[in-house]
Amino acid sequence: MRAEELKGHLDAVLLATLEGGPRHGYAVIEALRQTTGGRLDLPTGTIYPALRRLEQAGLIAGTWSVVGGRRRREYQLTPAGVRALSGRREAWRDFSAIVTSALENAGLENTACPSPNPA
Amino acid sequence: MPESEPRLIRGYLEVLAAQLPGPIVEELADGLTETHRSYLSWGLSEDAAAEAAVAEFGSAEEILAGFARVNPARRTARRLLGFGPVVGGCWAAALATSRAWPGSFPARVALGLALVSCIGLLVVAALDRRYRVAFYSGVAGCVGFAALDASLIVGVLVVAGVASWVTALAMAFSSARIALCARAAAAAQQNT
Repeated sequence: MRAEELKGHLDAVLLATLEGGPRHGYAVIEALRQTTGGRLDLPTGTIYPALRRLEQAGLIAGTWSVVGGRRRREYQLTPAGVRALSGRREAWRDFSAIVTSALENAGLENTACPSPNPA
Repeated sequence: MPESEPRLIRGYLEVLAAQLPGPIVEELADGLTETHRSYLSWGLSEDAAAEAAVAEFGSAEEILAGFARVNPARRTARRLLGFGPVVGGCWAAALATSRAWPGSFPARVALGLALVSCIGLLVVAALDRRYRVAFYSGVAGCVGFAALDASLIVGVLVVAGVASWVTALAMAFSSARIALCARAAAAAQQNT
């Protein structure tokens, strides 16, 4: 799956990767790879602006630490982020159920209600 | 990034550092170093691992565009520009009704020029895709508007007092704008 296909859902996916505890940018990407079996094809660099956006929205909080002589920024969910993740998960389940139902039952609908015979 | 890092990675980070604030570049450097190390652990050579890491990160243009979209100065500038006509309209009505227009012609010209300059700076902050340009224009625009608002509030209080509800409303709007600018300045400090 490419980045454009994920548009609108990236924030929820990033919030979900932080549900297990604080992670830095690269660890977020690794977690995304592991949870999706490597099927999410995102340029790594695009994750960082998205993390900043979530931080500005108050959904995650960043803190600095020093690891191996390098400064590292780690992010964790804020209480608002936990609530937002829960809401988005629920919205996704509803959306997914509706679309799945529409896609899988469309053929059955046509079979059950044949179009009227013009003759 | 230490000297021992491959030239490709150093060059890539230098392109980003020319546009982005230091803390953001430090964060990207950490991620890029981890990505590079991960490829090294797979058995790639230094240079091949650097090429793979940079390719995985995406182009510098993509990253700069991503950060330009989340630049806090851009968001604040857009809010101030949207809010501006309401505050300006209130002040025009308040000054006209209280007859507290800046007395001399040079004072009016100075006020007009300051207003146009602040709007210009905010327009640059709202539209320019270069992070630093947008950032510093936004900061300058915020400081300018906060100073203008403070001058108007003090000036009108001294000359005419709170003569009408329109004046009170204009002062309230200006105070809200000063608070927004102060909050934006505090957030900007975290990014630099």
